[in-house]
Amino acid sequence: MILTVTLNPTLDKFYWVEKLPLSLERVEEEILIRAYKSWGSAGGKGINVSVFLACMGVETVAMGFLAGHTGQIILRDLLEKGVTANFVWIEGENRTNVTIIEKGKEYHPVKIHEEGPRIPTHAQELFLKKYRRMLKRAEYVVLAGAIPPGIPETAYRELALEAKEAGVKAVVHAGRRALWEAVKTGPFFVKPDVREELVVGDMPVRTEEEIISAGKKAIEYGCSACLISHHVTGDILITPEGIWEYEIGVPPTAFKNLVGADDALVGGIIYKLLQGEEIPEAVRYGMAAGAASLEVEAKMCLSPAAIEQEMKSIKMEFKEPL
Amino acid sequence: MKARDLMRRDLTSVEPDTLVHEAVYIMEQSGLSTLPVVDEEGKLVGIITEHDLIQAALPEYFEMLHSVTFLPNLNQIQKRLKEMAFKPVSEYMKEVFSVHLDDEDLHIADLLIRKRLKQIPVVDGEGHLVGVIRRIDILSRLIR
Repeated sequence: MILTVTLNPTLDKFYWVEKLPLSLERVEEEILIRAYKSWGSAGGKGINVSVFLACMGVETVAMGFLAGHTGQIILRDLLEKGVTANFVWIEGENRTNVTIIEKGKEYHPVKIHEEGPRIPTHAQELFLKKYRRMLKRAEYVVLAGAIPPGIPETAYRELALEAKEAGVKAVVHAGRRALWEAVKTGPFFVKPDVREELVVGDMPVRTEEEIISAGKKAIEYGCSACLISHHVTGDILITPEGIWEYEIGVPPTAFKNLVGADDALVGGIIYKLLQGEEIPEAVRYGMAAGAASLEVEAKMCLSPAAIEQEMKSIKMEFKEPL
Repeated sequence: MKARDLMRRDLTSVEPDTLVHEAVYIMEQSGLSTLPVVDEEGKLVGIITEHDLIQAALPEYFEMLHSVTFLPNLNQIQKRLKEMAFKPVSEYMKEVFSVHLDDEDLHIADLLIRKRLKQIPVVDGEGHLVGVIRRIDILSRLIR
C-alpha cells in the first residue's frame, strides 16, 4: 500500500478563458471574464499522486486534514476515484486553488493559491497517531506539498523520521525549508518543488552544475535519489551510482495544462518502482507520465496507453558516475 | 457484487480511548453519524453512533416510557452529556457487525436489514478496517 500525506489539501478549480485582460485599460469598470469551460477536482501534491496510483490499480491511502464543505467535495472526489481516505476533520474550510488558462497561452497559466485552514495542535496529534498506524501497512510514503498554517516547517522531517523507523521508504516532494529539513533525514527519494524559487535548501539550482551540486548534497545525507527540474522540459537525476539527464519531447507550445504534471511524474516513478524497475528506468516512466499530463486538459494523464506512447519521446542519457 | 466493489474507502474512525466530545466533534465535522472504533493496529473493535450517545444521555426511566414527553426540558440530558464528554468512547461503543472484502451483496443487504444498521464496516483478512458500506450505497447501486 502506498501512503500519501497532503497536509494542505485543496479543491483545484480550473477556468479556461478566451482572453485574460490583465491590464486595466478602462479603470472605471469592473472586469468580467467569462470562462468557456471550468472543472474542479481534489488536489494537493500527495492527493494527486494517490489519484494517479489508484487509477493505475495501486492500493493507496491519502492522509491529511479536511475541513468544511470543500473538504466534503475533496473526500467525495477521492472516494469516487478509488483512493482510500484517512483524514483528520478540523474546523474551517479547505483551500481552493484557482488556475486560469488562456487560450493559446496554456504554457503560462495564472494561479491563485489560498493559504488553507490553521491546523490545531490536537488535530496534529490525532494525525500523527493515524500516520503511525498506517505506516505499519505501507511500502512507500509520499510526503508532498505545502505546509498549512499552524504546522511547523520541520513537519516533513518528523514524518520522514517516523517512516524510517517503521522501515517505510519516504518520497519527499515539496519545496523550500520543508523539503530540506526532510532531506537531512536521508529519505529514499527527493523531488524538490522549485516552482516558486530556484533553490534547494540554500543552494541555487539555476544551472546544471548547481543542480548536480544540490543533488550530491542530498545523496550525502543518505538519499537514494534526487530528481531536480533543469528547465521546464528536462530533469536531472542524481543517485549514488551516477547522474542521468532526461528530456521530454513535448515543446511548451503543445502544453495544455501544467498543473499536476509533476505529481504524475512522482506517481509514475512509484508505479514502476513497485513493479521492480531500477530508479533510472522508473524515472523515465515518470517523465513520460508527466509529459503525457502536460498534453491533456485534465490535471493528469491517467491512460497507461498514452503514457507508454509518450515513453518514445523521452530522452534519457547517463552523464557520469558520481 | 462484492463488498470491495460497494464500499466507501473512507477510514474516518476513532479509537477506544477517544473522548466522547472528540467523537462528537468528528461526527459533526465529517457529517458521519456512525464511527467505527479501531485499535492501535487499525483493527475494528466496535462502533459508536449518535444514537448510542443520545441513548446513554437519556434518563434511565426513559427506557420504560419510550417518550420524552415527560421531560420538562433538555437540561437533564445536557447535564448527562457533559458528564459523558470526557469519558472514553469504549464505555458507550457497541459490538460491531462487519463484513469481509469478498462478502456478497446479498449477505450485506441481509445484515443491514435484519440488524437495522445504517452502515456496516468492511475488514480485510486481518481485521483491519478498509471501508464502510451504507444502506444508500446498496440502494443506489440497485436502482441504477
